[in-house]
Amino acid sequence: MDEQKQENLDELFGKFLGQKEAKQAAYDIQKAEQMLAEYPAPQPDAVLLESIKQRMTDALSYERENNFSRVFYKMVSVAAVLILMTVISVMLFTNGRTEKLNGDLVMTAAIWESEDIAADDANLATLIAQTEEIESEMLALQLGENGGNGSGGLTELEMELEQINSDFWKG
Amino acid sequence: MAKNEHLAQIITGCKDGDGESFSQIVDMYSGRCYGYFYRLTGNREVSDDLLSELFVKLVEKIKSYHGGSFENWLFRIASNLFYDYLRVKQREKKLLDYQQQQQLELEKPPGRQYDSERIDKLQVQLGKLDADTRELIMLRFYSQLSFKEIAQMRTEPIGTTLSKMHRGLNKLRKLME
Repeated sequence: MDEQKQENLDELFGKFLGQKEAKQAAYDIQKAEQMLAEYPAPQPDAVLLESIKQRMTDALSYERENNFSRVFYKMVSVAAVLILMTVISVMLFTNGRTEKLNGDLVMTAAIWESEDIAADDANLATLIAQTEEIESEMLALQLGENGGNGSGGLTELEMELEQINSDFWKG
Repeated sequence: MAKNEHLAQIITGCKDGDGESFSQIVDMYSGRCYGYFYRLTGNREVSDDLLSELFVKLVEKIKSYHGGSFENWLFRIASNLFYDYLRVKQREKKLLDYQQQQQLELEKPPGRQYDSERIDKLQVQLGKLDADTRELIMLRFYSQLSFKEIAQMRTEPIGTTLSKMHRGLNKLRKLME
């Protein structure tokens, strides 16, 4: 242990003890350390050192892999955050349109949620019959079968259509 | 100075993940670190394990070394490992009387035990000191750190370190006579 850091032990002990005691303490320490040097500890054997070096090599590989994984997961996390932000932005941008779609859905649902099926069927049958009647009248008008005043017939048809429309939706 | 520069180069190599640099560190410090662990535990198998742990920790922690005394940094890890070992032993309640246990270790058939009577004598007497004093003496002897550095490492006033060291070494000398 001749490389041991040299310190002025007298001076060091002198800060806490009297000059004589400090000298004695420094001497005691030097003497005891010489005694320890006379009893060298065993050295690690070559097999152990080789196994330690191998373990260090393994730890190094693990560290490298770990670093790669760390960088990879960091990149994936950043990408995920970017995608999430994009999705949120798109959703906020199209918010008005979404509300409109929702409104349509509510109306459709209201129609289909009607529990009075018999009444609805009757209304539908009337609507179909009247629509067919109007169709045939339209066709007759187009062909001029009535032979009368064509514009009066059209006005009558229009009034009839309005009547059917209001009756059907009133239920 | 040249030695410090050489060490600095090796440490730079270690930080770059160079296996050869780590190997050089093992060659440079394994003897002193092993002696430190052996004198504290009195057991070669435990010392083997602690030495392995120390150098694996070195690989894991080398990036946290930012200059200053390398010995100080290395022996701080070694000291923490020793105290961790002591805590584990105490937790398992396998070490009710550490000194007694150490005595028993020495009485085991030689096997891998160091076969010098003189060394055994020192080991036996060291076992009669409390763990803290024994650690302090061995830290000073094997790390070659100054008392100022040791006091800083142990986060205690230098006067306390000097006093413990003086008392501990005097007691050891008397035991050895």
